[in-house]
Amino acid sequence: MERQILIGGEAGQGVAKAATIMGKAFVREGFYVFNYRDYPSLIKGGHNFNVLRISAEPVSSHEFDGHDVVVALDEKTVRKHAGEMKKDAVVLAPNRVNADSKLSVDTENIIRELNAPKIMENIILISAAWKYLGMPFESLEKTILEELKNNRTAVTAAKRGYEEVETGKVMGTAPEKRARYFITGSQAVAMGAIAAGIDLYIAYPMTPATPVLHYLAAVQTEYDFQVLQLENEIAVANAALGASYAGAMTMIGTSGGGFALMGEAMSLQGMSEVPLVAYLAMRNAPSTGVPTYTGQGDLKMAVNIGHGEYPKVVVAPGDPKEVFERTLEAFYLAYKYRVLSIIISDKHLAESTYTVDGFSPRVEPERFIVEDVPEDYKSYEITETGVSPRAVPGQGDAPVRATSYEHDEYGYTREEGEWAIKMNDKRFRKVRYIKEEVASLEPVNTYGNGDKVIVSWGSTKGAILDALKQLDGWRFVQVSYIEPFPAEQFLDAVEGAERIVLVENNVTGLLGDIIAEKTGMIIEEKILRYDARPFTPKYILRRL
Amino acid sequence: MRVNQNDLNTPVENTWCPGCGNFGILTAVKGAIADLVNEGFAELKDFVLTADIGCGSKIYDYIKINGYYGLHGRAVALAVGIKLANPELKVIAFGGDGGLLNEGIAHLVHAARYNSDITTVMHNNQVFALTTGQATATTERGFRGKSTPLGTFEEPLNPITLMIESGATFVAREFSYDVAHLKETLKAAIKHKGFSIIDVLQPCVSFHDTTEYFRKRIYRLEDEGHDPYDREAALKKAREWGYDLDPDARIPVGVFYINDEKMAYEEGWPSIRKGPFWKRKRERRWEDTIRKYVVV
Ligand SMILES: Cc1ncc(C[n+]2csc(CCOP(=O)(O)OP(=O)(O)O)c2C)c(N)n1
Ligand code: SF4
Repeated sequence: MERQILIGGEAGQGVAKAATIMGKAFVREGFYVFNYRDYPSLIKGGHNFNVLRISAEPVSSHEFDGHDVVVALDEKTVRKHAGEMKKDAVVLAPNRVNADSKLSVDTENIIRELNAPKIMENIILISAAWKYLGMPFESLEKTILEELKNNRTAVTAAKRGYEEVETGKVMGTAPEKRARYFITGSQAVAMGAIAAGIDLYIAYPMTPATPVLHYLAAVQTEYDFQVLQLENEIAVANAALGASYAGAMTMIGTSGGGFALMGEAMSLQGMSEVPLVAYLAMRNAPSTGVPTYTGQGDLKMAVNIGHGEYPKVVVAPGDPKEVFERTLEAFYLAYKYRVLSIIISDKHLAESTYTVDGFSPRVEPERFIVEDVPEDYKSYEITETGVSPRAVPGQGDAPVRATSYEHDEYGYTREEGEWAIKMNDKRFRKVRYIKEEVASLEPVNTYGNGDKVIVSWGSTKGAILDALKQLDGWRFVQVSYIEPFPAEQFLDAVEGAERIVLVENNVTGLLGDIIAEKTGMIIEEKILRYDARPFTPKYILRRL
Repeated sequence: MRVNQNDLNTPVENTWCPGCGNFGILTAVKGAIADLVNEGFAELKDFVLTADIGCGSKIYDYIKINGYYGLHGRAVALAVGIKLANPELKVIAFGGDGGLLNEGIAHLVHAARYNSDITTVMHNNQVFALTTGQATATTERGFRGKSTPLGTFEEPLNPITLMIESGATFVAREFSYDVAHLKETLKAAIKHKGFSIIDVLQPCVSFHDTTEYFRKRIYRLEDEGHDPYDREAALKKAREWGYDLDPDARIPVGVFYINDEKMAYEEGWPSIRKGPFWKRKRERRWEDTIRKYVVV
């Protein structure tokens, strides 16, 4: 049993909140919900919509058509989405909105009688939709109270909306009601960072990385850490390196444009070996692109960020469960190996809400600081693993030094070729150990067991998994570590494939290039989407 | 433990040109740190320097204390970050006029505005020296360098007024050959709570030799009864010389401006106020964080 609900209206009419409440109420009733959010880059007016996909089975994508119910806060929603509705679908809307197959809700009257704010129309309408789908009021009520800070008026308004319509397309009951998580990719990064022990999050606002800045800022006091917004991304990156050098577990976050500005500082990370975690949330690009929409065009930028050669980690989670777990891994690897860990995500993953059964982190990050600083401490001691024991300034008597120049073990500048070789070798010696570690972190996952293979990475996972349910003879190979690239695990996963198709949300197939570079394998068949919209199962199925 | 300033020497060979104004800065900095340690202001292990890229920034290699040698223009941003992570550290950022006022001016202005509790030392030779002599933001009009053979005509920037207006709470100018004075001002700047900056006039004997020009025109603010707590007087004094090398100039040095009342940036943050992060044991369980999003 699956249903799809579209909720639309102008910016400022509470579309996203309504979708969150309704989605969460369905999760409470034991359903799996995927909540897609679509909004243009403006603050008031325009057209925002959310699509809720609700199912008794796990679901992690939506379609842009096939709606069972359209909740329309304005007429534009009807005009834009009427053509996408199922034949027997209904529109739930206030009296003023004209639509066919409409169930009118007298929101204006209810608002007037309750003396409620106009924005509460959103609650009245979703409550009517809730009734139409035959859902019991109590779970919605509980969710409204949770999400709207115990607003009793909202509950009364919802009750009135609930009474306005008759039950129609009954959703039925889920096989099992149990506690599940309803969480976006952004929330999962934020919680992952907190779980990892973050001390400082430093950022400059840029969609779609901004929600992480907001979530972390909102809970900084509760978890005793700090969130700082500095003058620009260059300051963010450099200050973050300073902070991490001085002992704080530090993460920065931005989107493509901001990360490009940080490039030089990432290179400084590489030379100075000061641990750092960077969250990169892609939008459609190049340049300002389509800023509130999605894309996967920055993969090679992430892999190649900064000038010169230095080891780094790039991890690409595919859903909020993975985002949480991979964020912990990013911290763990960055601090253990004194490298840059980049968590690469995108608008689709960052701003969609997913239903998650549970989390199972594989690592426990820590500061990885030496217990005692020896008198003759060497900041860049050459060791077998290439990892020099990490101390922080003020810890022992010996100076702790970090530098952007090539250097000797004490961190003094050296321009002789001999030191350039020694230190490059030291830095790259880490890669072997990071690779071994990554191998134990399920860098490549396979779903299903057909002979034909879909290869992809990141947020496309949701649509691909849902497409897979309707496919015979296909399996899906998801690459989660891009750097260091798990070549062996990848080749094992695609072994014996009679057909391989690459699926990416970009113009040229960037993972395909990386696979070719790292394994020599060239994937000819590609399904690429670059209209700034995410994949849906149908989009993939039609093109296979 | 007493520290002698020679204890701060490093084995690195100094590569500044003979006669370079940077030597005076190096001596004064080592002297100031040794004094502050000996006077019980802080332990040696609590001093940290950050450096830009440029001739002056080579100071990183010549002082044996904690240090982070950063990127061109970014020494101040690095320093701000260090102080946020551990407010107990005494952080000094070194950079040239090119790094601080050209490449990285945003960081300088904002660090002053934040009133971040760091000290910035500007090796102001009014030229990009390490890249062999191009004009910077403080170069005088009419300067003919390799990149400006026709001569520059842009008005120089006045870092003193800029810093006072940006919100810095300790603003001074010194002359690199007056080591004793520079040392005292450095000590006061480091002790100051809030953003302090010293614009050190540092002749570059190879590309911008202003040694004689300055010697003849410099006078000390305290000799003329300047009150550094008077903001308007400070701005007025700051405007006396605009960095053009005009022959009639009188050039004030010393402390222009002090404001002891403004809260330092790091004091505003409840978690940072508690002291160094690295000493804290985090006992967050991942189950407790993610629980925020559970639906029951
Ligand atoms: C991003 C970047 N751009 C340019 C350079 C080249 N560069 C090195 S030093 C320098 C100028 C240094 O001038 P200044 O900061 O005034 O210091 P000085 O050498 O005069 O002491 C420049 C432009 C660089 N290292 N990094
Ligand atoms: S070039 Fe100028 S600033 Fe650089 S070391 Fe020589 S004299 Fe000093």
